[in-house]
Amino acid sequence: MAAEVDRIAIPETAARRRPAGGAGDTIFHGLTALFALLVLVILGGVLVSLLYGALPALEKFGFGFVFNGAWNPVTENFGALAPIYGTLVTSLIAMLIGIPVAFGVALFITELCPKWLKRPLGTMIELLAAIPSIIYGIWGLFVLAPFIQEYVEPALIGTLGKIPGFGLLFAGPPLGIGVLTAGFILAIMVLPFIAAVMRDVFETVPPMLKESAYGIGATTTEVVWQVVLPYTRIGVVGGILLGLGRALGETMAVTFVIGNSHHIHASILQPGTTISAALANEFTEAVGDLYQSSLIALGFILFVITCVVLAAAKLMLLRLQKGAGASA
Amino acid sequence: MMQLYTRRRVTNYLVVALSLGATAFGLLFLFFVLGTLLANGIGALGPTLFTQATPPPGSTGGLINAICGSLAMTFIATIVGTPTGILAGTFLAEYAHGKRLGEFVRFVNDILLSAPSIIIGLFVYAILVVPMGHFSAWAGSAALAIIMIPVIVRTTEDMLNLVPNTLREAAAALGAPKWKIIVLVTYRSAVQGMLTGVLLAIARISGETAPLLFTALNNQFWSTDLNAPMANLPVVIFQFAMSPYADWQALAWAGALLITVTILVLNIGARILGSWSGLAK
Amino acid sequence: MSLSLATPQPAEETAQPGETSPESSLPVKVQIKNVGFRYGKFEALKGISLPLRDRRVTAFIGPSGCGKSTLLRILNRIYELYPNQTASGEVLVDGVNILSPGHDLNLVRSKIGMVFQKPTPFPMSIHDNIAFGIKLYERLPKSELDDRVESALRRAALWDEVKDKLRQSGLGLSGGQQQRLCIARAIAVEPEILLLDEPASALDPISTQRIEELIAELKSDYCIAIVTHNMQQAARSSDYTAFMYLGELIEFDVTERIFTAPRVKRTEDYITGRFG
Repeated sequence: MAAEVDRIAIPETAARRRPAGGAGDTIFHGLTALFALLVLVILGGVLVSLLYGALPALEKFGFGFVFNGAWNPVTENFGALAPIYGTLVTSLIAMLIGIPVAFGVALFITELCPKWLKRPLGTMIELLAAIPSIIYGIWGLFVLAPFIQEYVEPALIGTLGKIPGFGLLFAGPPLGIGVLTAGFILAIMVLPFIAAVMRDVFETVPPMLKESAYGIGATTTEVVWQVVLPYTRIGVVGGILLGLGRALGETMAVTFVIGNSHHIHASILQPGTTISAALANEFTEAVGDLYQSSLIALGFILFVITCVVLAAAKLMLLRLQKGAGASA
Repeated sequence: MMQLYTRRRVTNYLVVALSLGATAFGLLFLFFVLGTLLANGIGALGPTLFTQATPPPGSTGGLINAICGSLAMTFIATIVGTPTGILAGTFLAEYAHGKRLGEFVRFVNDILLSAPSIIIGLFVYAILVVPMGHFSAWAGSAALAIIMIPVIVRTTEDMLNLVPNTLREAAAALGAPKWKIIVLVTYRSAVQGMLTGVLLAIARISGETAPLLFTALNNQFWSTDLNAPMANLPVVIFQFAMSPYADWQALAWAGALLITVTILVLNIGARILGSWSGLAK
Repeated sequence: MSLSLATPQPAEETAQPGETSPESSLPVKVQIKNVGFRYGKFEALKGISLPLRDRRVTAFIGPSGCGKSTLLRILNRIYELYPNQTASGEVLVDGVNILSPGHDLNLVRSKIGMVFQKPTPFPMSIHDNIAFGIKLYERLPKSELDDRVESALRRAALWDEVKDKLRQSGLGLSGGQQQRLCIARAIAVEPEILLLDEPASALDPISTQRIEELIAELKSDYCIAIVTHNMQQAARSSDYTAFMYLGELIEFDVTERIFTAPRVKRTEDYITGRFG
């Protein structure tokens, strides 16, 4: 059939024609598919290798590993409770501080900011996200921690620390380094991510929707609270989960300022540890298979937690996209 | 009625003030961090930084071995990660667009994108360092490449999806096979955006410490052996900053300043490149 | 009520769908036979049959959504870029059914050139835009390639305007120039059939006029099919006109006859603007 099409063509140039290349298509398609598959293989590989490395510890300690508060390399008694607790508490503090601030930033950029300021401001907030973890770490250790030790912690101990019951959260000598400082730095680190997602999501709100609210005399606050947020709530939750995923996995900044103590204290002014900080500090010096395996088990737990949080974030953001598409 | 109105106005002013405060808060810390970095790092900047290797505790020296080590590993990671990421992103945009397989791969890619980098370090430790029996720059580069790939996949896919279908149809109407359409027309159309993605990915791995902790480790001396532990800026900063020696701490600040300047330059460069491609349309 | 007329054709019987007149001296380049098209569950075209004569312009008119662009896109099988779209029936180019499997699709497309509604210059220099198609099929020495590029640009009436800026990007041209670039690009691969999908709808009136003049010149070398929503343009530029409505061919005739004495009432209603 192809030959017939060739024969019929009249100009002489047609005789010089060669087919434009069919083998190239299969090769290229295969090549791109191969590398896309690689992405899947990497994730699978991470999961499998972590599980494999964690196996000795999990076999030895069983499910109780998660609830064991001890961490003794000498007696080889390892438990994940302290690191998990530290990870969760620092992330919680980061969210409590970071979410309202991120919301304020997103609100400002989308509704209040003059037009010429929008882009530079957005860029600056994004630069906050570009600063690597270790920079925050070194700054935290030498600048923030002493500041918190001298001013913030005594103030907290003197005021909130005096409240019965609740005050236990703010007990203890002001050390500067500790769970609170780590949580605070995490807040600064995750707020640009959450703010960026919020801003993007806020800007998907059809202007007409906001204008009709402004048109009946609603204040900016009311428009954002009652129109923008409900419209974008799924995306906002997705952004928050994204920030949470980040906070859970942050390593270097936390390692510098958390104090690296495998103890659980009620007070957030005390040192503690997180999963990633424990790994960063101890892995290269971990002697003994069980020690190493316990650390890898910690890594596995962290990976599972962050995977779940990130998957949830993605699903939310996907639903928002589909919803916006449907209503558009 | 007026009471309600006043209350609304007051609430509004409050919220506006708070959001302004929040923005100021964010900016404050940006300048605070950068300012401290500058103040502390400038002092240790000098020609010796680039000519001498990291010193033993208590003496002066430079960072040249760490700088070169970081450059080398970043370079290798980029060489490996960029084509991988671009091809995988091409698959998502050109062959799997709208299909379930594509959505699944993108989903997995986004999880990898935000996964804690220390976990990636653990992974590479298990598959490279343990079998090889020692730490190495190869392992460090591999870890950095794995962190880079999802970023490039994402940006490549996004940029390719922006290319209008009419361009592809025009090339197809001339009889071009699919791979030539992609390579000769679609890539050309998206090249600026894709390059921006690569720059941002390089910026991202420039500051990564955790994945190098168990892969490349660190090296006190000048070394060009890729098969051995290699010095790199982030781990040196980690080690020196946590130490009690003033000389070491000064070097840590200098190294931190170098990394931050590099990352800012790459980020701003990527932004300028991005705005060019916007203007060209 | 009569609109401006195309130049009267030599006396020939109007071709009824599916029939070729024995007195017609013009060969039928493309015979469309009972072509149907569906995407997903939706049947966009039903039982279309008509001839496209060589060295003549056949215009397709009809309201939005009638399927005229869809039909055009079947002729070079460009719809196959997308999933879930299937065509039925036969399209005979010089007697060979190009819808049947087994054809090198790219060679088919090299015989049939297409120009789209919106100008789509590639992000390359003007020279490379034209050379792109040529290089797909032939390996030419540089001087010969340059000659071919020049020849295509001349035939597209663009050479004088761009001869000094061949190395500049095609994106820097005006809309009308870009569209002529696309036409030059299409004719550079030396097709025999040209499909023009509303080529001037995105252009200003002056550029539109130049495109129409160009079509009149190109007519002597190619079999041209043009889709247009501009009836006056069809009346001005074409020799034959096909009126389509809701996926069906309502009437096909010599242009003059369609616009002065259409046989089907619906055609008359459309032409006189009773719906549209």
